[in-house]
Parts: sequence; structure tokens; C-alpha cells
Amino acid sequence: MIKLSCEQFKEMLIERHGEAVYEKLKAATVGIAGLGGLGSNVAVALVRVGVGKLVIADFDIVEPSNLNRQNYFVAQLGADKVNATIENLKKINPYVEIKGVSVKLNPENVPAVFKDCPIVAECFDKAQSKQMLIETILGSMKKTIVVAASGLAGYGKSNEIRTKKISERLIMVGDSENGIEKGLSLMACRVIIAAGHQANAIVELLINSF
Amino acid sequence: MMVLKINGEDKEFAGVLPATMKELLGVLKVDEATVVAEIDGQIIRKDNFGGTKLTAGQKIELIRLVGGG
Repeated sequence: MIKLSCEQFKEMLIERHGEAVYEKLKAATVGIAGLGGLGSNVAVALVRVGVGKLVIADFDIVEPSNLNRQNYFVAQLGADKVNATIENLKKINPYVEIKGVSVKLNPENVPAVFKDCPIVAECFDKAQSKQMLIETILGSMKKTIVVAASGLAGYGKSNEIRTKKISERLIMVGDSENGIEKGLSLMACRVIIAAGHQANAIVELLINSF
Repeated sequence: MMVLKINGEDKEFAGVLPATMKELLGVLKVDEATVVAEIDGQIIRKDNFGGTKLTAGQKIELIRLVGGG
């Protein structure tokens, strides 16, 4: 098997992005709250571009119903999502630093779990959980930016998924309308578009604002 | 006419404004459990919706969240 050393990996990324961008991404720590369709795919994108450290949190295990959109494999069914995500990300970049937290996030533990993250991606499934995370970060973590997603169910309408800066510390991704409440299915294509928007907004922040 | 700027658009209220954030959400038929509310860029916690008084001219952002991820 071909091996890629840490130094070779660095050279590859610098060749792609240039040294200044490489250094900013490498120095960054990003939080991901929830490792479902959004979180598992946001994580892949951030690791591929070279974000140096992730803090990932979820309480769930991989189930068959996840495979239609989440970045897991049949062999991982039953596995803890945090461990399965770490396994998958290390296959992409063995040198990425990942802190995995297997916990159900709540207003009490969110500030401690994401204390080292200037940016957190909200990647939950339930609307109430999204509300909880955004409210907790904006209310209790005065310097943290949250990049959240709402409105990504169904298929088609790719260009209705947008990235919108709501205020200094809140960026929203999605069409803000099409949720599972409407009986729409969650499908890989549209979920991955939204995850791509989230990861892209985070990369833009890391390069331009930090 | 009393005006609140809600999600970037002026919303006029004849007579009196909704007294609190909770009242405003009731008027707009927005579910309190799935909305994030900001007034002039400051987050208002869900538990404080009833105690947060509104005054004319405020800039209010109401982010309604739908499920899926």
C-alpha cells in the first residue's frame, strides 16, 4: 500500500491552496454538533480541505436508515457514530486531529464540549435540537459563530438552498421551508448540498475572518 | 402606526404593538419551540419570550427552524 507521510500531505495541500490558506485551515478548530446527514458530510469536506482539528459530538449509533444520506458504511452498522466518523476521516487524512464526544448535547454541556471551537456547525435533525444549539451558542458562548442548517428535505430545487448571514454570529443554510414536517424525505443529494454550503461558509470564515 | 422591522421588512401594527416577544410570536403564529429570535442582534432565549418587552422601531430576526439533517 502507498503511504503518505505527514510532510507529503502538507506539501499536497500547500500545492493546492497556497501556504497562507493552508496555515489558516491547519490552525483551525471547528465543532460539529450532530453526525447525521449534515455532520458526517460537513466533516468529510472540512478534513479534505485541511482543517487541522475537529470536535465532533453525537450520541447515536449507525443504523440502516442512515445509509441513504449519511457518510457511513454497511460494515459500520451498530457502531457509535463518533467512532465511525473518526475511522472514516482518518482514512482521508490520517494526520487530522479529532476530539470525539459521545454525548447527547444539551444547554448545560454545549459550552464545555465546544469551548475550543470559534465556529460550530449545527448539524442536528430535529427542529427543537437546532433551536437549542443556536440559542445556547448565541446566548452562552459570546465569541462563537454558529453555522446552522434548516430546510434541506426533498429533492430538486438545488438553487433554493442558500447561505445567509443573519447576524454577526449566526449563518443559516437551507431554503428555510422544506423540512421533514411536510412529509418530505431526506435524500443524499439535497442534504449534501446543504452540508457543502455549511462547510464552504466555515472555510470562508476561517480564511477571511480569523 | 407602530412598526417593527421583522426579518428585514417593516411590519406595521395598527393601535398597539404586541407587548412581548411571546405575544408577537402568537400574532404571527410562530411555534415558540422551533424559532430563534434576535432583537437588534441580541439573542432572546426561549424562556424569556414572555418577559421580553417590544418597542417600536426594533429590528427583529425570527429564524424558524424545520427538521432534517
